[in-house]
Amino acid sequence: MNTQNMISSVKSTLKSFGLPRIIIGLFLLLLFILAPFVGVNIGTSLSDTLNRFGMNAVMVLAMVPMIHSGCGLNFGLPLGIIAGLLGGTLSMQFNFTGPSSFMMAILFATPFAVILGWGYGQLLNKVKGGEMMIATYVGFSSVAFMCIMWLLLPYSNPTMVWGYSGSGLRTTISTEGYYLHVLNDFFSIRLTEHLTIPTGMFLFFAVLALIIWAFLHTKTGTAMTAVGSNPVFARASGINVDKIRTLSVVMSTWLGAIGILVYQQSFGFIQLYMGPFYMALPAVSAILIGGASVNKATITNVIVGTFLFQGILTMTPSVMNSMIHTDMSEVIRIVVSNGMILYALTRRTEATR
Amino acid sequence: MKMKFDRQFWVRCAAIVVVLLFGMLMFFIGKQHTILLDNKTITVNGQEIRALQLVEVQVNKLESLELAARDRDKVDVTRQSHKITITYTDSNWNEISFTRKFKVPLMEEMVIISIPTLVSDPEADQSLWLEKYELPAYAIQASPEEEVVITDDLAGLISL
Amino acid sequence: MTLQRTKSQKVLRFLGNNTVPILFLVICAFGIPLSGYSTNYLVSEVVVRIARNSFLIVSLLIPILAGMGLNFGMTLGAMAGQIGLIFISDWGIVGIPGMLLAMIISTPISIALGLWCGKILNMAKGREMVTSYIIGFFMNGIYQLVVLYGMGSIIPIRSSALVLPRGYGIRNTVNLIGIRKSLDNVLTIKLFGVPIPLVTFAVIALLCIFVLWFKKTKLGQDMRSVGQDMEVARAAGIKVEHTRIVSIVISTVFAGYGMILYLQNIGTLNTYNSHMQIGMFSVAALLVGGATVSKANIRNVFLGVILFHLMFIVSPMAGKNLIGQAQLGEYFRVFVSYGVITISLVLYEVRKKRDRGDAGQLLAAEQGEAE
Repeated sequence: MNTQNMISSVKSTLKSFGLPRIIIGLFLLLLFILAPFVGVNIGTSLSDTLNRFGMNAVMVLAMVPMIHSGCGLNFGLPLGIIAGLLGGTLSMQFNFTGPSSFMMAILFATPFAVILGWGYGQLLNKVKGGEMMIATYVGFSSVAFMCIMWLLLPYSNPTMVWGYSGSGLRTTISTEGYYLHVLNDFFSIRLTEHLTIPTGMFLFFAVLALIIWAFLHTKTGTAMTAVGSNPVFARASGINVDKIRTLSVVMSTWLGAIGILVYQQSFGFIQLYMGPFYMALPAVSAILIGGASVNKATITNVIVGTFLFQGILTMTPSVMNSMIHTDMSEVIRIVVSNGMILYALTRRTEATR
Repeated sequence: MKMKFDRQFWVRCAAIVVVLLFGMLMFFIGKQHTILLDNKTITVNGQEIRALQLVEVQVNKLESLELAARDRDKVDVTRQSHKITITYTDSNWNEISFTRKFKVPLMEEMVIISIPTLVSDPEADQSLWLEKYELPAYAIQASPEEEVVITDDLAGLISL
Repeated sequence: MTLQRTKSQKVLRFLGNNTVPILFLVICAFGIPLSGYSTNYLVSEVVVRIARNSFLIVSLLIPILAGMGLNFGMTLGAMAGQIGLIFISDWGIVGIPGMLLAMIISTPISIALGLWCGKILNMAKGREMVTSYIIGFFMNGIYQLVVLYGMGSIIPIRSSALVLPRGYGIRNTVNLIGIRKSLDNVLTIKLFGVPIPLVTFAVIALLCIFVLWFKKTKLGQDMRSVGQDMEVARAAGIKVEHTRIVSIVISTVFAGYGMILYLQNIGTLNTYNSHMQIGMFSVAALLVGGATVSKANIRNVFLGVILFHLMFIVSPMAGKNLIGQAQLGEYFRVFVSYGVITISLVLYEVRKKRDRGDAGQLLAAEQGEAE
């Protein structure tokens, strides 16, 4: 009797957790177990994974507001990334260095994020039901548009522009001397020779996550959740559905801007032009791997998902390379991330339009 | 889906077979072969056969090629059965010309015909003067550096 | 009974319904003189593009008929066609027989991929476009698994010129010199100095006739009903899921053939990138021609090809002459390509709501009359 109950409860937990996630989790565990046997240092791997976790977590967090308010997966994250890029480049243009550079970048990025997010939100409100496809193409069009802008805008800092002509930004700009590693090195804990924990990034993410979590429990936050799960009921309760949705889009865009700045300070480079083009997809798959669905997401999903996804991205190349001397990491990344999104898209949802 | 061996099923089977046969036909018709024409002195069965001073070779209806001693030229042909026409001046200053049919084996991309051997005995079996040719390893074009395969989605949005 | 509309309302409605083509006409009207290209050059370039791309774009029509939206999954058909071409390049088959053999090889692969794609789309009803978009990316990973790792190792490839130096995996570019322009060159006439590949156009015409005939068959009519309203079609006894899958399979198979036609014109296969770009460009071209997510016909295909590719050709030079950087023109045309898809998608959704509103108005007017 007891074993039967246990089995059925295990089965139901497995079902709710979802088979793909379990497979991915086990796969990652397997990689970690194999690592020392094939000569890959666990400390370095863990360090890398944690580092990448910190780099990407905020962008994954950016998915949460829009999923909550029923706007679907934010394939239009590039719009927020562009706001962040504008902030970062402006901060460098005005020669802020060190931690203040990072702060100023956020400060410069915020108005852009708000304006772009607001416009984007208005657009999404007019196309309820087809948000995801339009989000994708809004993201693409804006990246392509900014390509033109990066060429034309009057930046003058010599580390940023092309040498010969003196105008037009370079494709990749190094953040060294500006805000490289400002968060990483903040209170970083060095455990062993190979293992460093970038505490600064984690603290930053924790603060943002806390803010979002707290927000979702405020009156506006619960209204947002209501709009996402049952728009008709929400409207009947007197909530201004459109305004809440626009708010969620603005929040998402702003988090995207912050996210790319966190990414850049760790990565070391600002990637312009076509750089942000496909950046929405990893964030989307990460949150889906973490257990979110098209209309439901929690902070736990963000943390678990980013860790699993980045873990696989970090471990697969090193372990597989040492094992079978083939670098299949790119293919695995494509299959895992897109497969996860596909899985999420084919689940039945209860949200009504 | 129940398997019904009715008329529709057999018609469909027949259609698939027809398509497969057609595909095989295309394979035969379209297979390209490179024929190397070699005018070198070679030793066959212990006998040395000298190269000709000047010989004119024409494969099928393609443009005729002139080969001096030690020359080699090539033609690309499709399908398997071909004609080769050789014109040369022998030691008595007579101009001799003959045509010989031959078949290129299906699976060989490159074959080499030794012209002197063919000239010495036009009626000989083709296996004497036609054989498969394998490119020496260094001739295969390799890219200078380790070819990096661009698998990233980003590449090439601009060109059509 | 139709709603009475004022003349200005009618004009506005016409503009609204045809926003995208008109927008493109304006862009081309500006771009062509700016670029400085001669008419002869432009006409011959456009003719080449029509011959090259139309087949692919026509393959998008059938899923739209069946209500599946824009079939970004045509990428799967393109991949199947490319695999066929890799094999015939390896086996050294040239000319028209080579092309036909590649088509024969690609067909079962396309059918299998189309079946799988259709099944998944049936599981994501209401989100077909995003899903087909992601399916394209996902299959790209599988394609790379096969072509970059499987070929040469598990799948025997004899020609070492095709394989990467490391021993397995196909190179970045495959030279299709064997079939290059083989269909185009069969019969080319020069009209006013512009070369026109007659046989290619004949093939495209055949496909158009097929599509027109298909729309009249029972299967075609079934698809139209499914496209208009799935539940009504189901009530009428149509096998909705099956019909939807069939539409995707047909589209995928034709996309495979179209890709082969496209590549025989270009002459080189960009192994890892061609298929990804082609989906986006075909969809953009179709939308530029005035098609929407739920309605598209042959006219849209050809109008779209002409306008879209005109814009594509003149942009770099126009950018150079206008601002001094050709790179600007190139980014501009990428922006316009994506922008046009965005605008079309937005207009489609907006119009859907407006049509619902109109239907309500119509109903109200009828009820008012009845009283």
